[in-house]
Amino acid sequence: MVLSQKIHEAFKGTVERITSPRTVSAFKEKGVLSINEFIIAGDNLVSKCPTWSWESGEPSKRKSYLPADKQFLITRNVPCLRRAASVEEEYEAAGGEVLLDNEENDGWLATHGKPKERKSDEDDNLPSMETLEISKRNTIQSISSYFGGEEEEDIPDMGEYNEPDNLIETDPATLQTAYLVAHEPDDDNILRTRTYDISITYDKYYQTPRVWLTGYDESRMLLQPELVLEDVSQDHARKTVTVEDHPHLPGKHASVHPCRHGAVMKKIIDVLMSRGVEPEVDKYLFLFLKFMASVIPTIEYDYTMDFDLGSSSN
Amino acid sequence: MADSGRGTILQFAPFQSSVDEGFWHKLSSLKLNKLRLDDSPIPITGFYAPCSHPQLSNHLTLLAESLPDESGEESSSLPASQGNRNRCPVPGILLNTNTLESFYALDKQSLLKAEANKIWDDIYSGKVEEDTSVLLRFLVISFADLKKWSFHYWFAFPALVLDPPATLVNLKPASQCFTSEEAEFLSRACNEWRSMSSTADIPFFLVSVGSDSIVTIRHLREWETCQTNVQKVLFGFYDPCHLPSNPGWPLRNYLAYIYLRWGLGKIHFFCYRENRGFADLGLSLVGEAEISLSPGWRNHQNMPNAVGWELNRGKKVSRCISLAKTMDPTRLAVSAA
Repeated sequence: MVLSQKIHEAFKGTVERITSPRTVSAFKEKGVLSINEFIIAGDNLVSKCPTWSWESGEPSKRKSYLPADKQFLITRNVPCLRRAASVEEEYEAAGGEVLLDNEENDGWLATHGKPKERKSDEDDNLPSMETLEISKRNTIQSISSYFGGEEEEDIPDMGEYNEPDNLIETDPATLQTAYLVAHEPDDDNILRTRTYDISITYDKYYQTPRVWLTGYDESRMLLQPELVLEDVSQDHARKTVTVEDHPHLPGKHASVHPCRHGAVMKKIIDVLMSRGVEPEVDKYLFLFLKFMASVIPTIEYDYTMDFDLGSSSN
Repeated sequence: MADSGRGTILQFAPFQSSVDEGFWHKLSSLKLNKLRLDDSPIPITGFYAPCSHPQLSNHLTLLAESLPDESGEESSSLPASQGNRNRCPVPGILLNTNTLESFYALDKQSLLKAEANKIWDDIYSGKVEEDTSVLLRFLVISFADLKKWSFHYWFAFPALVLDPPATLVNLKPASQCFTSEEAEFLSRACNEWRSMSSTADIPFFLVSVGSDSIVTIRHLREWETCQTNVQKVLFGFYDPCHLPSNPGWPLRNYLAYIYLRWGLGKIHFFCYRENRGFADLGLSLVGEAEISLSPGWRNHQNMPNAVGWELNRGKKVSRCISLAKTMDPTRLAVSAA
């Protein structure tokens, strides 16, 4: 961890200790959430997308301002079929996105329905509102051309230790599958792919949710956080995505830094309001996860929205 | 695939394990602060859920909460974490040895047999009806090298071996096995079962389809009472496997249980799977299996063979994970500088 980051963490920690949590809603004004609103939005996410659930995490890390059984949200075993880095290369080679409107260097993109990256020097990344009304996302197809060079010698293991084996199991009723690291179903239809556990915590300093990524390789062994960066859009890797201690779980995890979250959420809310949609705070996490999809475009977590984002005011 | 399976041996896709980093952190502190050189078996809890993605199976996962508390209480789980639909608890045993040599010297065959024996006994005693998850009992052997922060481990998911094996009469996506009315009731009933905290984490259940197309999900213990006024009864279970061609591992002991408990030789089963957290009948399977065992098999004394050690990338070897990066104080100090 770099020193400046360390100092900032210390500063942030101190502020978090001495300030009281936000209790007044500033959801529409600043794009931030109070703790109660985080719980409301989390409850709604869990009920609409049941692959998400609340967890309590490590008892020693429990935050007193959150209910003990609702410390953070998590969804486990989410597939990531291809590396974001390679997607961007392919995408740019194919012509990239079309800028529709470039006022204040803040343009909207037509994206040909593909995962997209905005060309901008800013750190925030605003998804196109056109794609917010998704019903079902396209299943991401793997790009076979990319996966020639990937190897599985990443794990320091004793795997080659030759067992003087007392284990003899031959059994006709066990499905035998050849082990292949492939990214598309082979003949045996077994897909070997990276998977992620994604968690959402409440960041008291920035008063926004914060996303954490725990990666696993094709045989469900822990992925080093540095390799997780391959699954982050390259505009964000090492800039807005950092590797830090998880607030509720042990170990180092990759996280999307929340310093711009409030501002981006505010813009998204403004756009909705300009269209006469009154955003409701319990939908916050759906908007937020949609926005996160621009940072981690190839991780297929669930934020399906087949209902209204807010009440229409006219 | 699909229904071409007539008369073939029913094959089950093996369970896969996954261990959260938090589990190893907690095991380390448990070992240092409480267990020390005590290497007696530790009761642990694994968690699993039905498959929830068409291309990906689910795992049996160990989390920090899988281990007992250092204070000596059985479980640290909060009341609210019970009934978590994404974490159906499964009882297991952890054998953590003190040296790598003793880890490799463990008699894996008899350890597996001992766990399978518990399943066998639970079937006979009727315990399965009270707590269906005992059919999924598992075993983990490990060696925690706390000097190098590396962990060697091996999972076993004991399965009672039917001899001769069960044959598959047919296997189809559930969507093809019901009228549209029945399918609608079935989806609704499954989603209801999965959303109620009292039933969400119960992985084995009965699906009864009434003559009026109304589908009800019931507990296993209601088998006898649900025989009246129904058109058919299916034995349902949460299937962690996503394959359209094979049911997952939990069906193995389930079939043995159904045969032993109810004497059924022809079994209609329902592999319950989800997509994005909701019942998906296109992904779920309905099948029919036939068991023809000699009458002597149904005898408590004749404990059958058991299999179930997990393969590591297709090989019969243990796994190892190094957590030096997050546990080694000198490395932590360097990365923090």
